[in-house]
Amino acid sequence: MTSRTKRKLTEFLFLLPTLIAFLMVIIIPFIFGIYYSFTDWQGTGAVTQTVGFENYKAVFQEPGFLHSFLVTLLFTVLNIITVNVVAFIISLLVTSEIRGRNVYRAGFFVPNLIGGIVLGLVWQFIFSNILPSIGQTLGWPTLSKSLISNKDTVMFTLVTVNTWQYAGYIMLIYVAAIQGISKSVMEAAEVDGARYWTRVTRIQIPLMANAFTISLFLTLTNSFKMYDVNVALTNGGPVSVFMNKPVQASELLALNIYNTAFKYNNMAQGQAKAVIFFIVLTIFSIIQVSWNKSKEVEA
Amino acid sequence: MKKLIAVVLTLALMMTAASALADIVIVQNKVEITSQMEEFAKLYEEKTGVPVKVITGGGSSDYNTVLKAEMQSGREPDIFVIEGPSSYDLWKDKIADMTGAEWTQYTAAAYMVDGKAVGFPVAVEGYGLAYNKSILDKAGIDPATLTTYDAYEAAFEKLDSMKEELGLDMVVSMVAGTTTGMTWVTGLHNFNVYLTVGNERNDTTYIDQVLEGKVDEERFHQYCQYVALIFKYSDPDMLLNGTQDSQLAAFANGKAAFYHQGNWMDPSLVALNPDFEIAYAPHAFLHEETDGILVNPPSWYVINENGNKDEALAYLNFLATSEEGADYMVNKAAMVPAFTNVTLAPATPLSKSVMDWNAAGKTYDWQQYKLPDGFGMGTLGQIYELFASGAIDVDTFETMMKDAIAGIAK
Amino acid sequence: MAKQAAAPIERMAGYKPNKGRKIALEIITLILFILFMLPFVIVLFNSMRTNQDIINAPVGFPTDLGQIWRNVAEIWNNPNFNFLSALRDSVIITVLSLAVISIFSSMAAWVLVRNKTKWSTFLFMAYVAAMVIPFQVVMFPLLTWFKSVGDFLGIPMLRSYQGIIFAYLGFGEAMSIFIFHGFIKGVPLELEEAADIDGCSRAGTFFRIVLPLLQPVFVTVLVLNGLWIWNDYLLPLLVLGASGNIRTIPLAVQGFNGAYVKQWHLIMTSTLLAMLPIVILYLFAQKYIVQGMVDGSIK
Repeated sequence: MTSRTKRKLTEFLFLLPTLIAFLMVIIIPFIFGIYYSFTDWQGTGAVTQTVGFENYKAVFQEPGFLHSFLVTLLFTVLNIITVNVVAFIISLLVTSEIRGRNVYRAGFFVPNLIGGIVLGLVWQFIFSNILPSIGQTLGWPTLSKSLISNKDTVMFTLVTVNTWQYAGYIMLIYVAAIQGISKSVMEAAEVDGARYWTRVTRIQIPLMANAFTISLFLTLTNSFKMYDVNVALTNGGPVSVFMNKPVQASELLALNIYNTAFKYNNMAQGQAKAVIFFIVLTIFSIIQVSWNKSKEVEA
Repeated sequence: MKKLIAVVLTLALMMTAASALADIVIVQNKVEITSQMEEFAKLYEEKTGVPVKVITGGGSSDYNTVLKAEMQSGREPDIFVIEGPSSYDLWKDKIADMTGAEWTQYTAAAYMVDGKAVGFPVAVEGYGLAYNKSILDKAGIDPATLTTYDAYEAAFEKLDSMKEELGLDMVVSMVAGTTTGMTWVTGLHNFNVYLTVGNERNDTTYIDQVLEGKVDEERFHQYCQYVALIFKYSDPDMLLNGTQDSQLAAFANGKAAFYHQGNWMDPSLVALNPDFEIAYAPHAFLHEETDGILVNPPSWYVINENGNKDEALAYLNFLATSEEGADYMVNKAAMVPAFTNVTLAPATPLSKSVMDWNAAGKTYDWQQYKLPDGFGMGTLGQIYELFASGAIDVDTFETMMKDAIAGIAK
Repeated sequence: MAKQAAAPIERMAGYKPNKGRKIALEIITLILFILFMLPFVIVLFNSMRTNQDIINAPVGFPTDLGQIWRNVAEIWNNPNFNFLSALRDSVIITVLSLAVISIFSSMAAWVLVRNKTKWSTFLFMAYVAAMVIPFQVVMFPLLTWFKSVGDFLGIPMLRSYQGIIFAYLGFGEAMSIFIFHGFIKGVPLELEEAADIDGCSRAGTFFRIVLPLLQPVFVTVLVLNGLWIWNDYLLPLLVLGASGNIRTIPLAVQGFNGAYVKQWHLIMTSTLLAMLPIVILYLFAQKYIVQGMVDGSIK
C-alpha cells in the first residue's frame, strides 16, 4: 500500500464512526419520518397505505394542535423577554463591584445544572402546596389555589420555572460580554461625566449586540422545544376552551406531538405534527443565519 | 489516548454481556397494588425458583405508553394486561390462546374471543358512590333509598345544609383534574354510568350509538344533570387539584359523605383506619329507579405468544388455584377474585360491598373501555374538567360532550 | 472569548458604585439570590419531614433532622426508584457517550478541516444543516428503525447501553464536530507537517500532536454534551423505556413520581438525591463548567 492510499484510508476510517451514527440516528429516521407523515403508519406494524396530505389536513383542523401552536408561540415570546431581562439585570449586578460577586455568579447558574423533570416536580410542589398555603394564611384569593390548575395562570408557572432555570445560563453570556468591553471605553465615559445608566444604555448595550443576538436565539429555540418541565410541572393541563373545543391550556408543541402519538395512539398524525415543528424551527434558523449575515455586513 | 479507547471498548463489551433478565416479565397497570404484586412475585420465585419481574405503568404514567415501550424493547413481556377490545385488537397478534388451562375451570369471566379463552381475569372490580354510613345515619338518610336522581338531589341538599354539624368539608369527594391525571374517574368511570346503568349486562345499545357519534338525547341530558349534581356538591378545589390520595383522605377522615371511587382503593383506605361503616350506593342518575353498581373484570392478563409461554401459564395457574394466590388476591391486594374456587371473603369494606352487590345480582356492565384510545381520559376528561372549573355551564357541557362524541364517527 | 471570560475581576468594565449605593446593590443581589436558592431550601427542608408534616403544614421547618435518613432509607432500595442503580446507569451512559462523542467528533472534524475537497465541504455542511432537525421529527421512526437494526444485527439497540450511547453519538456529534472544526481551523499546520516529515503515521499525528492541542475545546464539548445527556429525559424514555432494566436518574425520578400517589416527602427526597451528584461535581469543576457553557454558546 502506498503511503498516499494508506493516508486516505486512515482519514476515511476517522470519518466513519460519526458518519455511520449520523446516517443511522439522524438521516435514515428523518427520511422515514417524512415518509410516515404521508401514510397511515401505526407505529407497531408496517405501513398499509399512503394517504397524501390527509394527516396534515387533519392536523390543521385540530383545535388542540392549533392551540398548542399558539400557546408555544406565546410561551416563547414571554420566556424570551423574562429570561433575558432577568439575566441582564443579574449580569449587571454580578459585574458591579459588590462583595461575593463570584459566589453569586456561580450560584445563579446552579438551577441550569438540574434537569427539567426534577425541577418540574420541585416547582409543582411549590405551586400546588407551598404557595396556596401562604395564600390562605395571607387571605389572598388568587394565591390560595394552585396556580397550575388555573388556566389563566398556568403559563405564568411555566415561564417562572423556565426563567429560574435558564436565566443563570444567559447571565453567563452577558457577563462574558460585559467583561469583553474594554475598561478604557467605560472609564473614558465616566471621565466625561456620563451617569451609570447612560453608560449602560449608550455604551454597554450597543457593544453587547452580539451577546443579545446569541441569547435571543438560544432562548428562542430552548423555549420552542420545551418538553421536560412541561411534562413534570403541568402535564399540559388544565383545560381551556379554544374554537369552542376543550383543549389543554399548557400543552406545548413537543408534548402535543408526544401525546398524539402515544396517548391517542395516532403515530402518523404525530409524525405530521413533528414535520411541521421541524419546518418552523428551520425558518427560525434561516432567520438567525441571515440576521447574523446582515450584522457582519454592517460591521 | 489509546489506553482510553481500550478502556472504553472493554466497558462497552462488558455492557453487552451483562444484564441478565427475569424469566417472567409482567407489565401491569394496577399502581395501587404494585408492592403487593412484587411481594407475590418474590414468593413465587422462592417457591418455584422462577424469577418474576413486575413492571407497572399506570396512575399518571400511562399504562399503554409503558407497554408500547416494553414491546419495542429487545425483551418483550411474557404477561401483560389488556383492558378490552381496543387493547385486544392492538395486540392480538401477540396474544396466546389459553383454552383448557387449569384456571379456566374456575371462572366465567375469562376474556373470550371466538370461543377461545385468551384473558385471565385479574379480579372483578366495582364502583358506585361509596358512603359513610354513620354520617348518613346522623342525617337520617337511608342509603337503600338512593336509587333515583331525585333521591340523591334531596340527600345531597340535606347533607349540604348540615355540613357544619356533621363536620363535613364537602358532600362528595370527587376529582376531575387533568394536571393531576385523574380524568379516568370522570371520562371513563363516570361516563360509563351513562353507557350501562339500567341496562342488562352485555347490552351495547348506548356504546354502539356513541361509537357512531350519537347519543340518546333524553338519557344523555339526564346524565349531564347528574354530573352537574355531583360537581355542585363536590369541593371545587378537590375537583381540580385533588389527587387519588387527597380524594381518599377527605372521605376516610370523615370530611366527605360520599366517595366516587372503586374497591381498588381498599388497601389505601384501610391504611387510614376509617372508624365508620362503608358501603356502595348506586350511581342512580335517572328519575326512574336503577339499583345496582358497576362491576366487571377491569382487565385481563394475557400471555405473549413470543414469550416464555409455559412459565407464564404456570404462574397464572398458581395465582388462581393455590392458597398463596387466594391469600394474595383477597387479603394482600384486597381484590375480589373472579374465581369460584376462592372462598376467602374480603375483609375490606369496599370489596365486601362489591361482593354483596355481585352476589345479589345487582350489577351493571363496564363498557367505557370500548371507547377509542385516549377519548375518555383525554377528550372527554378535558370537558369534565372544564365544567368542574366553572368555565362552562351545564348546557355548554352537554353540547361539548355531544360534539366530542360526534367527532368519533369522523 | 474564552480568555475574556476568565479575565480577572479587576479588569472588568462593571459598575463601580459609591458606598451607600454599593450596600443597596448588595442587598438587592442578596435578595434575588435568596429567591433563586429558595426552591433548593424547600427541597432540603421537606426531605427532612414526614408526609403528614408536609400535608398538615406545607410551609414549615423540619423538627426532626433524622427524618431525612428515614426518607432516604425508604427510597434507597425502593424498586420504583433504586437510586444506586440509576446513578450507575446515568454515569455509565454519560461517560461512555462523552468519550465516543468527543473522540470520534474530533477525529472527523480534523479530517474535514485538513482535507479541502468538495466532499469534505459537503459533509461538513450536512452536519451543520442537521443541527436544525429537532428530536421530535426523528423520535418515532428511530424506535422502529433501531428495533429492526437490532433484530438484524442480533445486538439489541433498544433497552441497551450500546443503543442509547450510539444514539447520543448521533445526536451529539453534529454540534461537537462544528465546535472542533472551528477550533482546528485556527491550529497552525506546521506542527503536523513536521510530524509528517518525521515519518509519523496519519493517525499518530492526530493522537500525538493534534489531540493534546484540543484540550480547551474538549472542555466545551464535554460540558455541553455532559449536561444535556445527564439531564435528558425524552431520549432515554423512548430508547430505554419508562421501566426497563436500565434507568437513568431522570427516568427513575419520573417513574417514582408516576408509580406512587403523591407522597411529597419521598418525592422531595428523591429530587434531592437526583440533584446531589451534579451539584457536587459543579462545586469542584465550576470553572470548567462555566467556561464550557460560555464558549459553547458563543460558537
